Amino acid sequence: MAQLIIKNLKVAVKGQPILKGVNLTVNEGETVALLGPNGHGKSTLLAAIMGNPAYEVTDGSIELDGKDLLKMTPDLRSKAGLFLAMQYPSEIPGLNSADFLKAAMNAHREKPMSLFEFYNSLQNAYKELGIPFEMSKRNLNEGFSGGEKKRNEMLQMRLLQPKIAMLDEIDSGLDVDAMQIVAEAIRKEQARGAGFLIVSHYARLYNMINPTRAVVLVNGRIAVDGGPEIITKIDTKGYEWIKDELGIEIEKEEGAPMNTVSIGACATKVKIENGKK
Amino acid sequence: MERNEPQNRIVFVDSIPDHLSYTVKEGETLHLNLACFKDFASKQIDINVESNGSIEGAFADFSHGNGTFILNVHLLGEGSKCHWNLASLAHETSEKHFETSVYHEAPHTEAIMTNYGIVRDNSRLYFAGVSEIKKGSVKTKTRQESKIIVFDPLALGRASPILKIGDNDVDASHAAVVGRLNEEHLFYLESRGVSEEEAKRLITLGYLRPIENAFVDEELVSKIEAAIQGGI
Repeated sequence: MAQLIIKNLKVAVKGQPILKGVNLTVNEGETVALLGPNGHGKSTLLAAIMGNPAYEVTDGSIELDGKDLLKMTPDLRSKAGLFLAMQYPSEIPGLNSADFLKAAMNAHREKPMSLFEFYNSLQNAYKELGIPFEMSKRNLNEGFSGGEKKRNEMLQMRLLQPKIAMLDEIDSGLDVDAMQIVAEAIRKEQARGAGFLIVSHYARLYNMINPTRAVVLVNGRIAVDGGPEIITKIDTKGYEWIKDELGIEIEKEEGAPMNTVSIGACATKVKIENGKK
Repeated sequence: MERNEPQNRIVFVDSIPDHLSYTVKEGETLHLNLACFKDFASKQIDINVESNGSIEGAFADFSHGNGTFILNVHLLGEGSKCHWNLASLAHETSEKHFETSVYHEAPHTEAIMTNYGIVRDNSRLYFAGVSEIKKGSVKTKTRQESKIIVFDPLALGRASPILKIGDNDVDASHAAVVGRLNEEHLFYLESRGVSEEEAKRLITLGYLRPIENAFVDEELVSKIEAAIQGGI
């Protein structure tokens, strides 16, 4: 059985500590709701597990099935059975979606798929996620609406069939119909036995997929690890009870570091005055 | 050299003359396709475009060498247009300068100048050029876009497009980006199981391949595709 074990994980972004000792285990077949106030490290935790180089692990360990993930690059983590549906999937100019999906699927196999097999599974997945198949000819996420990007993330999850899938606000910006489709995709992976670690701000998605556990990340640590009833409690009462019941003072969201932009260089703008060069 | 070509597509593969001049007559369209696989050398091309004429220029450059490529487009007539696309790969010890300029000298003119480049090894790549809107050229649209991806630590890329705007009521913009491959893009692809090397290849392909759309000759397109695949 696949098991993701995180011990005493400390992560900094641009030198600023965000996670301050996270202990968490996610088993295959479990669906864990990851809750917590904004800016307390939910997205950071998912990104660090997947191996985003912008997130520096300063202490602790992450293991999947006994394998040390911290020694592995993101592609190897993916091949080991991890998946991260990102909150803001990148738009990749000029990269055809189908070409990308083929490269990703083949990376997970010993031998490349036949073209027939590839197109078959691709067509099925597009149909299942309610995405027109023509979208496979478009550049990856380029010009996709928010909802299309999220469905495209779920499409990739269905094609790659991870052991443990992490979803970062997969339901933000989705209308009710799209939410149903996304929930259905999650339920199919649950039925296959996959484990989930899911960040959402809304009880609505959680209600559709029946989490088995809920954990609350406060001040960079897991403050609460319990049953799904915690989701309802937070949905109705917010996070104040954590302070009252557990005596944990919830730190105000600090100015989170900005996402890095690769490199932007502005150019020169010269305005000529009338008649003068 | 002054030429008025009867046909509307002119193709040069490797043997580009040192100096070319064209006049695009009223209402006509000239397609200028340049491809260079061997030696890079200094060239200059001057193009005048009359009313409602348009120049569709594309340059796929995979050559080695040093020099300056100069393109000057004068949009002389009302409603004239210029669309220019460059994809250049600089490697080994090449030093290539591209100065692509467009001069809007009449109202309702349009120019979109796009220069994309990749620098590898010890090479240098410079994109410069002026987009100038002369006084009186109202309702004009001009855009200069320059992007260079720097692959290796010793490679150097510079992009410095210049806008000169001599009148109001125009739409002018430019973008210049020089940098390494976007880390977030790489991470996104790698998180799906694609190796770093393959991710770089996919992103770079996506960056250079669109130039192929400007060419019609299938044999030449395959040659460009092979040069892209081989060069990255």
